[in-house]
Parts: sequence; C-alpha cells; structure tokens
Amino acid sequence: MYVQSVWDDFIAFSSPILIFFSGLIIIKNNVNENNSQFDIQSEKEKMMSLAQAPPDTPLKIVEIFGGHGVRRRLFALGFHKNDLVELDSQGLFRGPILVRNLTSDISVALGRGIAQKIIVEVVDEK
Amino acid sequence: MKNNKKPVVIFIGQPNCGKSTLFNAIAGLKAETSNFPGTTVKHTHSKVNVEGRILNIIDLPGTYSLNPADPAEKVVLSHVFLEKPDLIINVVDASILGRSLELTVELLEMKYPMIVALNMTDLAEKKGIEIYPEKLAKFLGVPVIPTIATHGRGIKELLDKALMVLDEGLHVSSPSWSKDVEERIEKLTKQLPEDFPVVANKRFTAIKMIEARKLLFNEMLEEMNPSLKKALDEVRMELEKAHNAPEYEVISAERHHLAMKIFEESSKVYRGKRISLEKRLDDALMHPFFGYIVLLIVFLGFFFVIFKIGNPLEEFLLVPLESMRQWLRAEIGSGLFFHLLDGLVQGIGGGVAIVLPFFVPLLFLMSFLEDVGYLARAGYLMDTFMHRLGIHGKSAVPFILGFGCNVPAVVATRILESRRDRIITSLLIPFIPCAARTTIILALIAFYLGPFWALGFYVFNILLVAVLGRIISLFFKTPSPGMILEIPSLKFPSLKSVLRKTYFQLKSFLKFAWPILIIGSIALGLFQSLGFDKTVNLILSPLVEKGLGLPRELGVTLIFGFLRKELSLIMMLQALGTSYNDLMTVVSKGQIIVFTVFISFFIPCLSTFAILWKEVGKAVAFISAALNTGVAIVLSLAARVVLSW
Repeated sequence: MYVQSVWDDFIAFSSPILIFFSGLIIIKNNVNENNSQFDIQSEKEKMMSLAQAPPDTPLKIVEIFGGHGVRRRLFALGFHKNDLVELDSQGLFRGPILVRNLTSDISVALGRGIAQKIIVEVVDEK
Repeated sequence: MKNNKKPVVIFIGQPNCGKSTLFNAIAGLKAETSNFPGTTVKHTHSKVNVEGRILNIIDLPGTYSLNPADPAEKVVLSHVFLEKPDLIINVVDASILGRSLELTVELLEMKYPMIVALNMTDLAEKKGIEIYPEKLAKFLGVPVIPTIATHGRGIKELLDKALMVLDEGLHVSSPSWSKDVEERIEKLTKQLPEDFPVVANKRFTAIKMIEARKLLFNEMLEEMNPSLKKALDEVRMELEKAHNAPEYEVISAERHHLAMKIFEESSKVYRGKRISLEKRLDDALMHPFFGYIVLLIVFLGFFFVIFKIGNPLEEFLLVPLESMRQWLRAEIGSGLFFHLLDGLVQGIGGGVAIVLPFFVPLLFLMSFLEDVGYLARAGYLMDTFMHRLGIHGKSAVPFILGFGCNVPAVVATRILESRRDRIITSLLIPFIPCAARTTIILALIAFYLGPFWALGFYVFNILLVAVLGRIISLFFKTPSPGMILEIPSLKFPSLKSVLRKTYFQLKSFLKFAWPILIIGSIALGLFQSLGFDKTVNLILSPLVEKGLGLPRELGVTLIFGFLRKELSLIMMLQALGTSYNDLMTVVSKGQIIVFTVFISFFIPCLSTFAILWKEVGKAVAFISAALNTGVAIVLSLAARVVLSW
C-alpha cells in the first residue's frame, strides 16, 4: 500500500516533466539534422575542430590551441598532440562534448569553447 | 634518517585513483573518499601504528601534475616541501596507467624515497590491461606493490615495504629525458648559485623554474639575480625554438613520452574487451536526451526517497518528544528550570526527530551518487544549462555538493581554474538549499502544505540561482574559459565506503552543529524566562512583524539561523511555544512560506560565511552576506504580497 502511494506520487510528479522532455526531443532532432549535414561537409576536408567532428569515429589530435592554462590542463589530463580520440556523446543544444582518449581510455567532458580549440582529423580505418 | 622523529609518509596520486580509500584502509575513518575528481580538497594528517612504529601519514589532495601555475596543484607542491617526507607513496590507478605514470615520473624528479601503490588492479584486469609489477619497478627504479584498496588487498605488503624503505633508505634517480632537453636543464642547473633556495634538488628546481613562466617569481628573479634570469630566459627560448612549442609543452611532452614508454614496456593490453554492459549503461547515462531524463528522474527520486523515509520517521519520533515536554510542563510548571530543561529536550530531541530523519538519507544518497561516479556525469549534462548562466558544468559539482552542505561546496570551488568562475560559483552556493535548508523546506512546507509546494519551492530556488548567476556574471567582463572535467569510470561503490562517508559527514554534524543546537535551545529557554528575547524581537519587529507579517516572537530565531539554519526550525517552535503538530494553530500557511523563504535565503550560515572568507576572501564573504540578506528581504516581502492576494 505504502509503496503504491509512493509510486503514484512519483508518477504524478514526473509526468509533466517527461512530457516537457519529449517536446525537447522533437526540437533536438531538428537540430541534429542540421548538424549532420555540416559534419559530412567538413569530413571531406578532414581537418576540423573537435566541436564539429563526427561521433564514434577515431580522430587524431592535430593541434591544441588556447591559453597556457587550458593547454596545460589538457596535457595533464592525458590529451596530447597525435593522440587518438573518439567523440562519445554531445550535450543537448550545442552543449558540452564527451571525448575519450582511445589510447589511455580516459573520458573528459569539454565545454564547446574548448572543443573548438582542438583541431582533429579523421583517421582512415584500415 | 631522523631516528627520534616520527617518519613522515605522504600519499600522492592523481584525482580519483583510490588514494583516499587506501589511506582510509590504513588510517581508519579519517579521509573522505569519492568517485569524483578533486573532492579531497583538504589534506588529512593521521598517526598510525605499524608493527609498533608510529608513522605520521598525510593524505594530499589528488593532483594531475605538480604544476606551480595551477592554484590547486601549487598547494600540493608546497605541502610536499613543507612536510619534508621520509617516504612518498604514489598511488596509481592501474586502469589508466599510462597517464597516471606521468605524475609518477614527475615525482621521481624530486628523488625522495618512493613506493608506487599500483591500485585498482582488478579494474585494469577488467579492462584487459595486464601489468607486470616487477617490470614496472625495474623501469621506475622504485618498489611497486599491487593493491586493491576497496578490498584491503596488498595493504600489508605496502606497509611492510614502507617500513623496509624507511629503515634501509632508497636511492631514487630521476629518469632522463631527450638529450637536448637534458643539456639545457643542465645548463641552467649549473647557473644556480650555491645559496639559491633549492627545493628537492637542483635539477628539479631548474625544471620548475623553466615551467613557471607566468609566475610572479620571474619578476622577483629579475630583481634579485638578473644574470640567472637571463640564463633562464635563454633556456626557455632555446627549448621553444628547438621543438617549435612553448617550453612547458616540451617538458610535459617529455614526461608523457617517458610515461607511455614505461607503460608499453611493462604491460600488455588486450583490446576489444571494453564494450561491456558498463559502456552501454554509460552511453545511456550520457545520452543527449535519455541522459537528461535519467538525471531528472534521479533527482526526483532522490527527493522522494528522502521525503518518504524522513516524513514517517519524523512523525514517529516526534510523539515521545511531545509527551516528554507535556510531562515536563505538568511536573515542573513554567519557571526558569522548566525553560532550561525544555530547551535541552528541544535541542536534543529536535536534532534526533526533525533533522536526522531527513539528513541521514540525504547524506547517504549523496555519498552513493558520488561514489558511483554519477556526479561528474551530472556535471557534464548540466553544462548546457550552466553555460547560459555564465559559468560552466564543472560548477555543477560544487552546486550539487551544496545540496548536501554549502561548506564543502565552497571548498570544492577550488577545482575551478579561473578566479572569475570561483567567485561567481561561491556567491551562488549559499542560495543552494543545503541539507539543513532542505530539512526546513520538507519539515515546514512539505509537511504542512504538501509535497508539491515543496517541489515548487525547490524549482523556484533553482530558477533563482539561474537568474542570480546571470546577473552576477554581468559584472565580469571576461567570459568563462570553459569546462574541462574528467569523467571517472562507473563503479559500483562498496556499501562500506558509502556508509563510511555518510558516517563521516554525520559525525561532523553531530560534533559541530548538534552542540550549537542544544546550547542554542537552552540559551533561548533562558532568554525567554528572563525576557531578553523580547528585546531582540522588539529590535527586529519592524522587519519581522511589519515587513514580513510574521509573529514578532520569530525575530530571535533569525539570529540563531545565522549559526545553523536548522536551528531556526527548532527555535521557531520554541519561540512560539508550540509543538510541531500544533504549529498550524499559531501561524497560517502563508506565514510558513514567508518564513521559509526568508530563512532559506537570508545570510549564509556562520560556517559557510567563515569558509567563504577563508577560501575566496573577505570581500566575497561580505558581498555574499549582503546579497543573501538583500535577496531574502525582497523575496519574502514579495511572497507576502503575492500570497495575501
């Protein structure tokens, strides 16, 4: 009985939010379409910023721009030039990106601004 | 060897390498552990007895490197030199050995006796990494002991080895780098005058000097020893020219290559093992939508579990407390003695019956989420929103910790690299409803008005933080540098570790807050019987009575709210001379809301104020107090106007 009432309250609580989120899904899908077109274009050029890189594809870090502090932080976290990385996920509405170093298996969340300062190229799959 | 002094043993490791867990396993219930980069922000000292010998062991905050230009890492670096360690225990996460070794090779440069604790070997195995400790030891030139801190494995071997090294000493030599880099370091080392304040050894000092490009140190050197400064600049220039990269990058790359080489030669990686259940689960948790849905459900569930455990428990525990007070009143009457005893009962009972039922589950769930590694993921997901407030997702970490207690949250702002982000986040933290304020919200609003009101209050509170963040960041011209946050691998935390952390935090409540609560209650009882409270109430009455439309008696509770927020709740009942269940006979629902709004936002509690002062400076602490009081007055006045319609 008690468990049932807890559950009912919980559903009543979360349903409006779930509805709100399904709305977001629709908006996000549209955003995604735009993004993917852009990705295909830049894939041809091979070099791009991590913010525009295609997901789940091995990428090589070509250059890391940005200030002294940011670059040092990235080195310390194990992200260096010539490292192989992969884009694992992207936040909602051009939010942060989740990038994983394929060599060391370390995942790092990067804000968009920082992702734009990291230049990568797509590695040809053998 | 210092024979008559207790040997100093320092624990150093990268964030989230299980250092605190290992430290705890050795020292007992001392350091807080977590699955979140950068939560051990204080260092912990402890004395332990190992086979009859007392060791002075110190746990330092996790650090990626020893970069003197990073405020958090500088603290670690200076502590190492302050403590003058007889032995360093470098805790290394075996599952990300390649990167962890970068710190190890940097520590070797100091040439202090050192042991490497190769921790989380079980996790490494799961990931398909096989490490040969003997080979690793050979390359590093120091002993390597495999451990699994969570299961207590390898700890005895580690301590035995530690005693051995302390007795016999250990010669450590720094691994050498590329020839041209070494030559240039050598050149600078030779230029160091005899009386130069050398740290660790001359080569290490020279390296740190080269790395510290942006520090005040350079200007000092310019004045004190211009010829050395010239040599330093020359070496930097040469390095930069030869490698076509800034000197700090050249040195970082040297360490990186060395670490990778040692990693490759001392381990084998079997690929393809990684696509596991865990990875799939992580994909869902970090998914651009499902991630947010999970985040929401986690936090709603969080709120509900606490409410559903706390509420019945509170009602249950209040019954004996009430009957005890009735009995006291009947037996002793209403003299001074009654007021004192009543205060005592209220203080002790209030802690047990009103605060603990909500506080304990909250601390437990918070520790659980932290240990699982979900908090970092929440930080990632929140960045989208936080970014719009002018700060970034990493600030979500202190914010989320702030729901537990504002004090560690303010301390955790150290993980933010830029001063700007730190100040904004620190100013916003006191607006986050901490456990104590959540207790007030639950105990007053949810209990008397229903859970929906409480949730509404919460949502409003979070919106308020958003709006304030936006406004505060307008005062800063430079934009935030952006988020860089390591996402630790998901771990299923041991119940022991979660319970330990809950206990740890609960203990600090029992130790600091409860006595204040009890003393405060007794003091209020004394005040009441002597009539002092009327004076305080009279002084505050223009605000409390005329402004907020609350009973005048509540004025004095605000003073106590400054000590601890949850005090206001207990004091409120005492000041009104009523019991929890009969509160509604004395005040209206509207008054409860106005009171809660005021109490929640007005002035950070004493300990938050103190920590703000200590961490971000006096100015920020006072700005914070003024900001909070201002917002509290405006909002509670607004609440009164809105509710009286």
